[in-house]
Amino acid sequence: MTPADSLGGAVNGPAPGQVLVLGSAGFLGLNLVDALLANGITPRCGRRKRTNVLALRQRRVPMVHVDLDSPEELAAAMAGVDVVFHLAGHYPKFSLDAAAALKTGLGQLDRVLDAAAATGVRRLIYVSSTATVAPAAHGPSTEVDVYPEAPGFGTYHDLKWHMERRAARESRLEVITACPGACLGPWDLRVATSAMLVALGRGLEVPHPDGIVSWVDARDVAEGLVRLGRLPKAPHRVLLSAGSMSLQSMLELAGTHYGVKPSRPMPAAEAIAFADAEEARAHAEGGRAALARELVDLIVHGVPLDSTLARATLGLVFRPLEDTLAAFDEWARRVRILPPIAQPSPQEVQS
Amino acid sequence: MNPDTTDARVIPMISQLVPVKPEDIKPEHRLREDLGMDSVASMELLSMLAEELELDVGVEDVADVHTVGATIELAKKFLAQKAA
Repeated sequence: MTPADSLGGAVNGPAPGQVLVLGSAGFLGLNLVDALLANGITPRCGRRKRTNVLALRQRRVPMVHVDLDSPEELAAAMAGVDVVFHLAGHYPKFSLDAAAALKTGLGQLDRVLDAAAATGVRRLIYVSSTATVAPAAHGPSTEVDVYPEAPGFGTYHDLKWHMERRAARESRLEVITACPGACLGPWDLRVATSAMLVALGRGLEVPHPDGIVSWVDARDVAEGLVRLGRLPKAPHRVLLSAGSMSLQSMLELAGTHYGVKPSRPMPAAEAIAFADAEEARAHAEGGRAALARELVDLIVHGVPLDSTLARATLGLVFRPLEDTLAAFDEWARRVRILPPIAQPSPQEVQS
Repeated sequence: MNPDTTDARVIPMISQLVPVKPEDIKPEHRLREDLGMDSVASMELLSMLAEELELDVGVEDVADVHTVGATIELAKKFLAQKAA
């Protein structure tokens, strides 16, 4: 019995036919591949020519080269595919060029949707972002809360808004949009969302603003996506978040794992200026910004989320944050993203 | 593949990822500090290596590989395992 079968009616749809995962070598992608395999589904794994596929190779899954700028490669990858999980939506490295990001993001999404329509894909699950979620009039935001137009906070928010709108307007095939919150957990090999946890774990300064963060374990997102692929009738948009809290509170909780106290948050305007300067420096010199602009925007404009729909229709039970932090810590030490915990010497054990 | 030719396979791969000529890449060079690779690029290198040489290298196996020499040694170790 697979995890989805055990839930009974809510998600007991038939297993899809051939499945394709775009972005399978990434953080969410690897977790989705694991969840699909656990549900008895072996996906076709789309990967770029030059990327880290060590973890995919370990899973012994079929891989196919897919460049989202190549209609031919997309069509070949989607041949005979029933359900596509699109986790490879453009994520610009820097927020410095909004027009270029929009051109790339929308162009790639168009090519993915065109290929899916042309090859007869039945359902495409598009993984978007909570950057598109607008504040609710009262209480936490739900699936109906979408900015009526691009919010104008920064490159990332506007890009995600335009991409989600494009996906929502698709009429040639069924498109479901999933909006996961800040994903944490194992397999963040590029140290993206986990960057602040890693910095805390290494005892480094974590420059940050404060605001609402809606976290979710990447393994729960993956299970939710599998269930979206199986549901006979799925909602068009689903928010996936275990809970919402202030970033400062989350960092203080994480800090207890590492015996450190996070610094005080920066005012929003100061954080934006700092992130912009850091991105300009990293763009010129190479490397990473100490604080990414899209992260600042996500935190400063974050809203509390209500994931009742995901719990009700997908039967998801989200892990508590403590479990997610512990799982991330164990994995990060295993792959040396964090230093291993020193084992006591035999003499120390005896004493 | 003869393990003696491993250097000749690994160094051109590194050269594809950094703006350094193959003849200027030395075993003692550190991937990050000397060749300018970030963590993503160094993982990509080890992934290319695993694919090119068809080695069963896992993420955990590459965690402590920080130099060109260690990369070559890793390849030799897994080639030997494959041949055994």
